[in-house]
Amino acid sequence: MLKATRSSVRAALVGAAFALALPASALAQDFSEGSNAKEWGLAGEEKAMFSGKVVDFLCELAGDCADNCGGGNRNLGILRAKDNKLIAVLKNRQPAFNGAAEDLLPYCNKDVDVDGVLIGDDEVVKAKFYMVQFIREAGQSEWKKTTLWTKQWAKKNPEFAKGKGPWFRRDPRVAKQIAATGNFGIGKEADEKFIKDNE
Amino acid sequence: MRASKIKTAVLAGAAALLALTPSSKAATGGDIIEIKGEVIDTWCYFSGVMGGTDAVVGTAHHTCALWCAAGGIPVGVRTEDGEVYMVLKYQGEEPLSQSDTIMEVQSDTITAKGKHFLRDGLNYIIVENVVANEGILNLNHEDFGAVPPFSAPKKPKK
Repeated sequence: MLKATRSSVRAALVGAAFALALPASALAQDFSEGSNAKEWGLAGEEKAMFSGKVVDFLCELAGDCADNCGGGNRNLGILRAKDNKLIAVLKNRQPAFNGAAEDLLPYCNKDVDVDGVLIGDDEVVKAKFYMVQFIREAGQSEWKKTTLWTKQWAKKNPEFAKGKGPWFRRDPRVAKQIAATGNFGIGKEADEKFIKDNE
Repeated sequence: MRASKIKTAVLAGAAALLALTPSSKAATGGDIIEIKGEVIDTWCYFSGVMGGTDAVVGTAHHTCALWCAAGGIPVGVRTEDGEVYMVLKYQGEEPLSQSDTIMEVQSDTITAKGKHFLRDGLNYIIVENVVANEGILNLNHEDFGAVPPFSAPKKPKK
């Protein structure tokens, strides 16, 4: 009897050790069911549709809460309903270096459904990040594509919005930095050398 | 029979452990810490969309980091050990405010003091004070060129 108990305990410990040894991704839940997200071929990419609440990180983590989640000046995330995980949203669906704050802001502190992709398989940072591609307020049937960023940029930069080329070629803040320190950020000489070496 | 018992016990052990594992860790922190690392664009770093992590930092990726910071993609500080701290505020400024402050430090190696929070495996920092800014130290454009290539400097038009 004692022998059997020891054996069972040992086996239970083996099971616990096995569970501990599983990578975080293996323990992660699958949120892909029903997703209509477009895959981008990104690191650790998983389609993910889930429900949650749009939150301001500063408020959620530090209790530093602002009106309307900071009005577009703060990074926003989603507190996922199923497991209460705080999901860092890095990107909207636009393929032009756009974050997601503008698309999340109309839903500040509201319950939403989102569809997109979770990404990330970093060796050190054991967290997944989110690209939100569709969003709707909880209870609504119609999804909205997350494409607000460039519209908001044009509103904030009317004098630059009518030019040719993508926004990032015309953005005054980007242009100011490149004018000051070059594309590589270490001075115009490095840019000139690069151009010469690649002629 | 014995094998069946062992199998049951193994499953029970795993199930018990999983049951004890919280589905989400509560935020911890608010403690003041000091970190030293490079200011990075978190989207390109974690998504691999532009290539490996060695290529999406430093001078090679500087212009893209400017685009992403201006585009409202969260900025992070990557320390030497590979940990990344998501920047919630930078010396009193909210990161998406339309100022030049966060733009001026892209790709720089900084030593920063601030309030640290850890939530669901991810580090966050409210940078209160930049103790030192060593500028851009990683001259990896010498190895990778510009990443992405369309961010390379161009010959001025005559």
